Amino acid sequence: MPIFVIMNTDINQVGVMKKIGKPPLKDIFFGIISFSASFLVLTLILLIILVLYKESSLAIHRFGIINFIITQNWDPVKQIFGAAAPLFGTVVITILSLTLAIPMALGIAIFLAEVSPHFLKTPVGIAIEMLAAIPSIIYGMWGLFTLAPIMSEYIEPAIQKTLGQIPLIGKIFEGTPQGIDLFTASVVLSIMIIPFIASVARDSLNLTPDLMKESAYALGATKWDVVKDVMIPYAKLGIYGGIVLALGRALGETMAVAFVLGNRHEITTSLFDAAATITVTLANEFTEADSDIYLSSLFYLALILFVLSFVILALAKFFLLKAERGYSR
Amino acid sequence: MRYEERYVRRRKIISWIALSLSTAAAFFGLFWLGFILFDVLRHGISGLNLELFTEDPAPPGIPGGGLRNAFVGQLEIVFFAVIIGVPVGMLAGIFIAEYARGTKFSKTVSILSDIMVSVPSIVVGTFIYAILVKPIGHINLGGILAVAFLSAILSFLFGSILNLFTTNILLKIVRISSERAVKLLNLTTTLITVLFGVFLFVFLLPKLVDKIQGFNGWAGAAALAFIMIPVVLRTTENMLSLVPWSLREAAFALGASYYNVIKDVVIRAAMTGILTGIILSISRVAGETAPLLFTSFNNSYFTTNMNEPISSLTVTIFVYATGPYEDWHTKAWAASFVITFFILFVTVIARYILHLKYRG
Repeated sequence: MPIFVIMNTDINQVGVMKKIGKPPLKDIFFGIISFSASFLVLTLILLIILVLYKESSLAIHRFGIINFIITQNWDPVKQIFGAAAPLFGTVVITILSLTLAIPMALGIAIFLAEVSPHFLKTPVGIAIEMLAAIPSIIYGMWGLFTLAPIMSEYIEPAIQKTLGQIPLIGKIFEGTPQGIDLFTASVVLSIMIIPFIASVARDSLNLTPDLMKESAYALGATKWDVVKDVMIPYAKLGIYGGIVLALGRALGETMAVAFVLGNRHEITTSLFDAAATITVTLANEFTEADSDIYLSSLFYLALILFVLSFVILALAKFFLLKAERGYSR
Repeated sequence: MRYEERYVRRRKIISWIALSLSTAAAFFGLFWLGFILFDVLRHGISGLNLELFTEDPAPPGIPGGGLRNAFVGQLEIVFFAVIIGVPVGMLAGIFIAEYARGTKFSKTVSILSDIMVSVPSIVVGTFIYAILVKPIGHINLGGILAVAFLSAILSFLFGSILNLFTTNILLKIVRISSERAVKLLNLTTTLITVLFGVFLFVFLLPKLVDKIQGFNGWAGAAALAFIMIPVVLRTTENMLSLVPWSLREAAFALGASYYNVIKDVVIRAAMTGILTGIILSISRVAGETAPLLFTSFNNSYFTTNMNEPISSLTVTIFVYATGPYEDWHTKAWAASFVITFFILFVTVIARYILHLKYRG
């Protein structure tokens, strides 16, 4: 019996296949071709790790793992490379953009799931999904030419005048507002990831059984009570999944950030300073790397980014799968 | 006022405030969308003229000229990405949705490709750089394998089209339906396909592996295909799983082989969905910049030769927008306008078709 008949667990189908007997040659042929295509997908993932590891092995041997992560220097002339600055930038931007995006996205999801009148649901939903379809380079350009001037002229001075006066917190809003900085990049990125969280959260909220909502209303709950105490607890896992998914996206976003961050390899205490992320460093320096160790360090950065985002996306998938299983129960 | 009434009123007010905040959030999101689209429209319209599509770029700093090279390059890269990515993605999707339905293998592949969909695209760029840009220039295993892969895919496409075509002629036009004739036909087409593939490999190998120096269009197409494959795979899998099982049973009962069931029944039933998914995935890769930066790179001259660095709209936007000239910025806005509205148009149409087909 050919392999793909045994592999099939669907009882109906195995029965049918058995009665046919030996499948014709083209069946086996097509099975093998399509199997190799799906096997290729697995191989590609393994290959990407292997190739990145091989290319970065020079830098891994030279700088080690811990040492590479905590070194702040990025000096192509002296050929000393460390990932601390881009890693710091990546983490700060990701956290900041998530803090800005999560409340917005949850608000949108609640609006779409429970508040909005019926005729608005589809158009507003499509519009939010259109935000996700806009290519990231457009966000970058818009950030550079439109948002950055607005930021440097109005918003950042205003923040400095208010929040900047508070003793300890004021530290993170120091410096001349240029518009090309961590803060602007985070705002652009947060607009970009709003639709990812919003659409997953809306779908999860929508899965709350009507019976549960109606029971809550019957007990005298207000709409917000229903959202807060019935829908959100029910959709919790799905919402977590959406947030972690957006986290994975935010980590790996390149073009939206590349325009408005300035590629500066230093750890800064102020949000109004230029900085670098892993992706921005790669985009700006990859084609300019003139020595083997330079290129190898860049590959090392790519490997770190790949492993990080792979782990985070796997976590997101775990949450979403668990949520799915919970709903079908 | 009684205590209960006050309590109820307080809860109502809290509810009202919270829900207005969520409505405000929704309109805030719409505000950003409107802001970005309006800005792209405002700046883009002014740079839009016929020369943008028909002329090559003027030397840096001199106004005038167009972006013909970028438009053509973009089309070419995306075309080859589709040629490579769609067959692989569809076949893999068919395997995990049909032959391996419900197995551990198919679950693993589908979860991994879900993860692959969101893997940072710039990492894909570095990966393709390492296997297709860096080593090419002298005969190497990676290049030979890539050429073999390409010719296998092309010959597979050629073979399926040929088989479909000739079978139709045999059955519909000449009206021969004897089993032996069909078998003979299949055998001949298979033979022709294999010969075609071998010929393609022999033909392409010296043309590609030796000639390519550094950045090349093929690498760009491969990077985009890498991003497309998991998207197409997941769409195909989802759409095939929507086809009711009884449809397959009916075909099995007529004595059809699984291959014929897939080809003539399942794929046909799911075709609209799969095609729309493919269109959505094309619109997704059309806007990708990061994977093209180190693969197809950029070229300020007009070329259709995939062995050379080839310019694409997105990379051109990146270079022009960060460049020093006012004229470049105008051109970058115009190109952004074209690409944004193309993608949004395609996305909305595709979603609308999906909505019509799988309503409810």
